Amino acid sequence: MPKDEKPIDEQRRNFLKVVGVMIIGAGIVGTLRSVVQYAIPPVSNAESSFPTLLLLLPNGNPVHTTDLVVNNPSIVTFDYPLQNEPNFLLRLGDASNNDVKIDSTTVDIPATGGKYQSPAGVGPYGSVVSSSAICQHLGCIPPELRFHPPSSTNFPGKVHCDCHGSTYDPYKGFSVVTGPTKSPLPGLVLSYDSTKDTYSATMLVGPTIYGHTTDLSGGNPVSSSGATITTLGV
Amino acid sequence: MNDPQPIPRKVPDYMRKKGGLWYWTGAMIMIAFFYEAITGLILFLYYQPSNAYVSTEGVLNIAYGSVILTTHLYGAYIMIALVYIHLLRNLFVGAYKKPREMQWLTGIVLLVLTVAVAYFGYSLTGDVLSSDATDVARGIAGGFPVIGTYLREIFMGNGQSISLFTRFEGWHIILAGLIGITFALHFFMAEYNTIMPDPKKTNYRAPLIDKEDSSYKPWYPYNLLYMTQIALFTIALILLIPSILALLPHVPALFSPFPQVSATSPLASQVPPYPPWFLLFVYKELDFGISSTVGPFWATVIFTGLPLIYLLLLPYIDRSSTLKTTKRPIVVATGIIGIIYLIGLSTWGATMPGIPVNNVVGLLFFVIPLVLVIALVYMISGRLESGKVKIQNAWKVYALIPFAGFIAILAGISIYAAVKQGTIYYTIATIFLLVILGISITALYASIYGVKKASEQKSLSGRGYVLFGGLYGFLALAIVSVISVIPPTTIFNQSLYGVGLGLLFLLGAAFIALYRSHAYNE
Ligand code: FES
Repeated sequence: MPKDEKPIDEQRRNFLKVVGVMIIGAGIVGTLRSVVQYAIPPVSNAESSFPTLLLLLPNGNPVHTTDLVVNNPSIVTFDYPLQNEPNFLLRLGDASNNDVKIDSTTVDIPATGGKYQSPAGVGPYGSVVSSSAICQHLGCIPPELRFHPPSSTNFPGKVHCDCHGSTYDPYKGFSVVTGPTKSPLPGLVLSYDSTKDTYSATMLVGPTIYGHTTDLSGGNPVSSSGATITTLGV
Repeated sequence: MNDPQPIPRKVPDYMRKKGGLWYWTGAMIMIAFFYEAITGLILFLYYQPSNAYVSTEGVLNIAYGSVILTTHLYGAYIMIALVYIHLLRNLFVGAYKKPREMQWLTGIVLLVLTVAVAYFGYSLTGDVLSSDATDVARGIAGGFPVIGTYLREIFMGNGQSISLFTRFEGWHIILAGLIGITFALHFFMAEYNTIMPDPKKTNYRAPLIDKEDSSYKPWYPYNLLYMTQIALFTIALILLIPSILALLPHVPALFSPFPQVSATSPLASQVPPYPPWFLLFVYKELDFGISSTVGPFWATVIFTGLPLIYLLLLPYIDRSSTLKTTKRPIVVATGIIGIIYLIGLSTWGATMPGIPVNNVVGLLFFVIPLVLVIALVYMISGRLESGKVKIQNAWKVYALIPFAGFIAILAGISIYAAVKQGTIYYTIATIFLLVILGISITALYASIYGVKKASEQKSLSGRGYVLFGGLYGFLALAIVSVISVIPPTTIFNQSLYGVGLGLLFLLGAAFIALYRSHAYNE
């Protein structure tokens, strides 16, 4: 102890100690509060209802029918209604690559025993369909989950998941063909504007997108200007 | 000579006195680094490499996300600035000499790592500035002879955007980890080699080693409290600067605490193509005539690699045992020239980004300060040696001369601009620069001739302590209640919260200072 130290007034010192603890406490409370509140993911009322989004090419122009290849072996997807939620965009054909008209069918949900009406194909030939591209089994996405175009009459086109082998039938509303999945791929309802030859995503039907409590929560919405398609080569 | 000591070592009292902060620049860097590590990790809760720009912008809208993101950026800025200050200080006082050569080397490694980690972190946002910086770095890395392509792919992936940002994320963490390890080494070397005591003790001869004596007060509680004070102060700076900037309109892109527009947005062309400010000098050097001849890689080797090699070799070049700045004119002159080049190139890069410089102008830029500074330093140190002039704090003087000179040039330019253009901005800039110039000249004067130490710190009376302590406590409670009712719904509100939190930390630091003065008479 240095000699010049003054005698210390214990009472004042204790007062200061209390104040010190208070200030540090205030700092800790302020810090913790912000960090904890930050860590809680925001409840995304990202969207209150399904947006209608024009499908766009990467260059920003709308997708026209000629941009879509019948039985395209490359994987064409777009995010909807939230980011990182890919959906297939398929123009279905038969084994000789002629457009096939897809009708609305009743699809079973084996998991719940429920049923729903799948969206019909759109476009000039009624052959363009879309569904969520997140596997309903454990959530694999393209390229693991992908459309295999028909190669012959013996092999009609199927959507197959390489992760655990689930198969879906895109010609029948993406219904379950083989497990382990117990649920069809949610169908995406497209609308077609025949005067402008453009396509829009309007809503999803069937089961909820894999990993979400509702289709509209748990992420950020895609940009409001439109849904841009991306192509993954084979 | 280095008896095993409990770590951390005790330090002499003067290091905790007013102005003692100069001895703790390393500690401040450490605090900034910890702050960065913590905020960085919690930022990863929301960052998505597949969605770099959108997810970064998204953080701004999460409760308090804006505070965390902007202070993470400014924490890095402050850390880099402190690294430079720490380096220059140790350069001028001769801390690289025996026995601290290895400590100096790890310090230089830490400089490189810090700038590199900041580069990767800065690029994670995916905004237009980050993509400009990425382009420049691609060019530099790709120009490495033979393995250029590999290097580029190792650091920037195979060309897909997701691979780019995943790599950036990975390298950002890897390099931060390396900083942690190298820093531990640096710190324990510092503990082993002891602090540098007053060089007068050994008549300005290396090795300069601190011998503990009985006047050293124990580490706990004296130093612990002081360290806490420094930590709170540093964090207060990190919180306050960006939060205040965030509240101001029209902060220039270079210093804006927010990410800029997305690189793919049509507005991107309106943002000048800047790299982050701490890399502006690399950016400008690529504009020189010679750089386009030899390519970006070799230009970087010449302009950045050579100075680094010089710094690395410095302990082995300057082997003399003298610690007097006046006896090391070359080292001192090189240090000053380095500062001038660094600041000059950066300002040049900021004001005229991407405008080519022909070889003659470039040569003049490098030669004029070189000749001037070497001549001046020789002259001054000669006179100092012969005792004609006396300077108290030589290293402070050396650091202040280039700074004041540089500010004087800027002030001259802005006076000219104010007269010619007459807009209010130039006038404000001029006043601002003149004030800084005034302060730095006063500081220079004070460090040359010394100021009379205000005779003994006036200590408060006992009542005064109670009064101030109570006031601080009251303010802290007031601030914490005000900021807790501000909803973090807008970025503006979040910034207010940041300011409030910064003030709380500042109050904490001020309070500890008060307490130390009361209880320990420090
Ligand atoms: S995730 Fe697709 S089959 Fe398991």
